Amino acid sequence: MSGRPTAEELAQAIEEFLAGEILPTLSDPRLRFRTLVALNALGIVERELAKLPREDDAEQRELAARIRADEVPAGTLAHVKADIEARLRTDSPGYLERG
Amino acid sequence: MLGPISEPVLLPGGASKEAWAVDADGEPLLVRRAGGGVIHRHTLSLRHEFEVLQVAHEAGVKVPRPVAYIEDLDGREAFVMQRLAGETIGRRIVRMTVPERLPVQMADELAKVHLLPPERLPFLAEASIDRLVEELDEIGEPHPAIELGLWWLRENRPPTRPALVVHGDFRIGNLVVDENGLVGVLDWEFAHLDDPARDLSFALVRAWRFGVPDRRLGGIGDVEPYLERYNELTCYDVRPEEIDYWELAGNVAWAIGCLTQARRHLTGQERSVELAILGRLGAEVEHEICHLLELHGVT
Repeated sequence: MSGRPTAEELAQAIEEFLAGEILPTLSDPRLRFRTLVALNALGIVERELAKLPREDDAEQRELAARIRADEVPAGTLAHVKADIEARLRTDSPGYLERG
Repeated sequence: MLGPISEPVLLPGGASKEAWAVDADGEPLLVRRAGGGVIHRHTLSLRHEFEVLQVAHEAGVKVPRPVAYIEDLDGREAFVMQRLAGETIGRRIVRMTVPERLPVQMADELAKVHLLPPERLPFLAEASIDRLVEELDEIGEPHPAIELGLWWLRENRPPTRPALVVHGDFRIGNLVVDENGLVGVLDWEFAHLDDPARDLSFALVRAWRFGVPDRRLGGIGDVEPYLERYNELTCYDVRPEEIDYWELAGNVAWAIGCLTQARRHLTGQERSVELAILGRLGAEVEHEICHLLELHGVT
């Protein structure tokens, strides 16, 4: 469970930033060349990620709908918090370390 | 009327609006001009924001002096105001030596804001917490932690207070601060009519403590002197439990805000890595919602 932007969408955003905002500012030919190579590599990452199957969020949808219907048995928060911590281990590991 | 005018300099930051620094006859001014999009549909227009600024300035709230509204500045609306000297970047403010009375100064200003006459600002809309649910539904992604926050807010709603003029985004990051403390209150685009306790609590949201979570008031101080001073100056007698309630509501609002910002990127409204990554960093805010729910005894 990771949500959006997906890894592919993040790679796209970085690609647009490098190509649209960084590349035009570079006058050093060596840096321009290396940035073009980096963009090429990022394209590979993007296409690789595009082949992955879409994540199934049915369980999360069901849980969200139950809470919306005021169905919140004891233990719900512990379950939800564990899911968020799993997300943070990818999205922001430093946040968990800071406590 | 104006003397020599310096070359305008575009300042960094400001996702939805441009800010230009310009000196006119030696006076430092700031031009706030419409940008690509709006943060969300409840944002005031620059014309209305300028009117709020005028009313606040007349009432003696510490704000930049409003100078002029310009309907068409090269195709977009804009207004000109005084450019205050001081720090606005949250990460820097929490590391500065700020006077101990900063929380009290913040309460002083908010007490004045909540006394602004609503009849002078007839365009201000009343907010309700149900708006949060609408915004979450528009995103269309499942977020059980946010749902739990909303559930708790439904179950524990404090008695309703009359809606007053509120700033709507009163927190470190929207305040100008220097070594003597609070210089001015900025960013009035979220002004609306609401429960004053909600406005008072937004500065406590963990994301606005800028990495200093132990100082519950914006990473700069304690809540107690802030609340005490506010209650001294007003007749609202806001209780600490209300502050806790609205702190949780503030975190829920910002968790949804992160998703809304990421949507601006994903829908192509405004492509930006900065907006995109908020879709993932919102997990930090959802974690804080869980943490606060634990403190309230939820399991």
